[in-house]
Amino acid sequence: MFFNTRTERIFIWVFFPLALLLPLFLAENTFFVSKLTSVMIFALFVMSLDYLVGRCGLITLGHAMFYGLGGYLFWMIAPEYEAVNFWVYTFYICMIAAAVALVIGFLVLRTSGIYMIMITLAFAQMAFYFFSDSIDFGGTDGLFIYVKPETSIFGLSFFDLDNPTHFYYLCLLSLFNTLIFFRLLIRSRFGRVVDAIHENPGRTTALGYNIFLFRLMSYVIASALGAYAGYLFTLQYGFVNPSMLAWTTSGSALVMSILGGMGSIYGAILGTFVYEGLHFSLEHLTEHWMLFMGILIITMVMVFKNGIAGYLEKLLEKRA
Amino acid sequence: MTTSLFLVQLINGLQYGLLLFLIASGLTLVFGVMGILNLAHGSMYMVGAYLVWYFFEHTGSFGLSALISAVIALLVGVFMERTLIRQLYRRNHLDQVLLTIGMIFVFNALQSILWGNDPLGVAVPPSLSGAIPMTDVLEYPIYRIFVALLCVLIAGVMYFMINKTRLGMLIRAGESNREMVECLGIDIRKLYTIVFAIGVMLAAVAGVAAAPMSSIVPGMGEHILITCFVVVVIGGMGSIKGAFVAALLVGLVDTFASVMVPQLSSMMIYILMAFILLIKPQGLFSS
Repeated sequence: MFFNTRTERIFIWVFFPLALLLPLFLAENTFFVSKLTSVMIFALFVMSLDYLVGRCGLITLGHAMFYGLGGYLFWMIAPEYEAVNFWVYTFYICMIAAAVALVIGFLVLRTSGIYMIMITLAFAQMAFYFFSDSIDFGGTDGLFIYVKPETSIFGLSFFDLDNPTHFYYLCLLSLFNTLIFFRLLIRSRFGRVVDAIHENPGRTTALGYNIFLFRLMSYVIASALGAYAGYLFTLQYGFVNPSMLAWTTSGSALVMSILGGMGSIYGAILGTFVYEGLHFSLEHLTEHWMLFMGILIITMVMVFKNGIAGYLEKLLEKRA
Repeated sequence: MTTSLFLVQLINGLQYGLLLFLIASGLTLVFGVMGILNLAHGSMYMVGAYLVWYFFEHTGSFGLSALISAVIALLVGVFMERTLIRQLYRRNHLDQVLLTIGMIFVFNALQSILWGNDPLGVAVPPSLSGAIPMTDVLEYPIYRIFVALLCVLIAGVMYFMINKTRLGMLIRAGESNREMVECLGIDIRKLYTIVFAIGVMLAAVAGVAAAPMSSIVPGMGEHILITCFVVVVIGGMGSIKGAFVAALLVGLVDTFASVMVPQLSSMMIYILMAFILLIKPQGLFSS
């Protein structure tokens, strides 16, 4: 069976067909389409964090560094007034982000637990101040992307990135592919070892695995995907600014991931949609949305022991 | 840099460091004894500042307002521990993170409902206003020196309390072995309530002390929280002695960096933290 639980299968069969059909009904309402797009991009980011925190047990508060890096890298390497190829630059950005993650991961993975949380935060804060204090990178205002890439493969172009609906489908496809990618990764031999390390690092070392190497690989993979999400965000809005790298971005991603159910991967989508949905609707209802948001978060921690995914699984799974 | 400027920066750095210690000590105490990562700690710093402003407007006496604010903070701490924190001792750190982030939202909302979002200010109490002349052109405000001395006093009292009193003995015992303390017939839950409330009060007192020196603005809690985490982690989680050393270090580095290398100043304490953690992955004084 490809998906671990019945709940996950039900979720996938409900979410993706619905997401696929939605733009047909919202054709006039481009605001909602682009809002949903940005939520899906963030869900992709949260998913990469969820793999790192929930599956590998590597808690980081600096994941937003790669989100921001994805945007800034595009500005740095792409020519300013020339449309480049989307797929080629996706490859470039993921590779450069992976190289950066290799160096930083090599340093931060020497620590663990709360110290790792803080050292990842330290690197992210350095990156934040580097970009926000530098005039070359636009300071706190950030930078504009004037020309969006074209998406042809062998001369065939399926997506026009300036069209919100096309961009929506590109992000949906990316989200789906990421989910499948993580499922395959978790099922693979590599994923089994990562699970074993999370369960018992000492015993896995005794079995002859170099746990540092597996953790580093996981860190690199998750960071490259985080950068991809940031790259998509930058393309959607046509700008990049330091708030993408702020620790609050990492913090809210962590909240969404815990809310969805740590380590469940698909829970990242649930968590992001529930959080953003609540945020969006409360913000429109009342000026003091934070009060209700806070109370809801507190209630959810008390009620859902393993996030929303964990709660749904308790409801839907047959008890053995 | 001239000697007098150096001296002023040195005092500034020490004074900032001592204030940081006041906040960070509560954070590290709660983590060390109870294993709770309280992200809402910074919010209590903010609450302290707003409370003292509110009571100062109504009573006109800074001392009285400070006292009332500290007592209210203590009660809020007891309430928080009894109703929410208590449920989380057996859950993991991530659930604690989520819960306390929820609390930050609530505190921020209450602040904006009760006191609005405009920056506020409290006047320095008349008995502590004025400045001590240092050279012909430089002088140093008395209030800042008073705050520094107050922080030293509180640090001394904490040291005495933890090392010499019965409560301190229980705190140290609870830190090393919770089950054993329970077996000896001591109500550990009561102890936890006390420790948490004291931690919260320390943050609020720091907020009260800082109120006349800086403007009271929304979001001041989150900003100080991150700096305090830097302090606590450099010192070693749970170590009060470590927090003291690290707070002075961070205070001095931050102050001198903003004078000597302004372009790197906001990055400097994070560079310091990364550097220290790479050499000593458990902080300076890990237990």
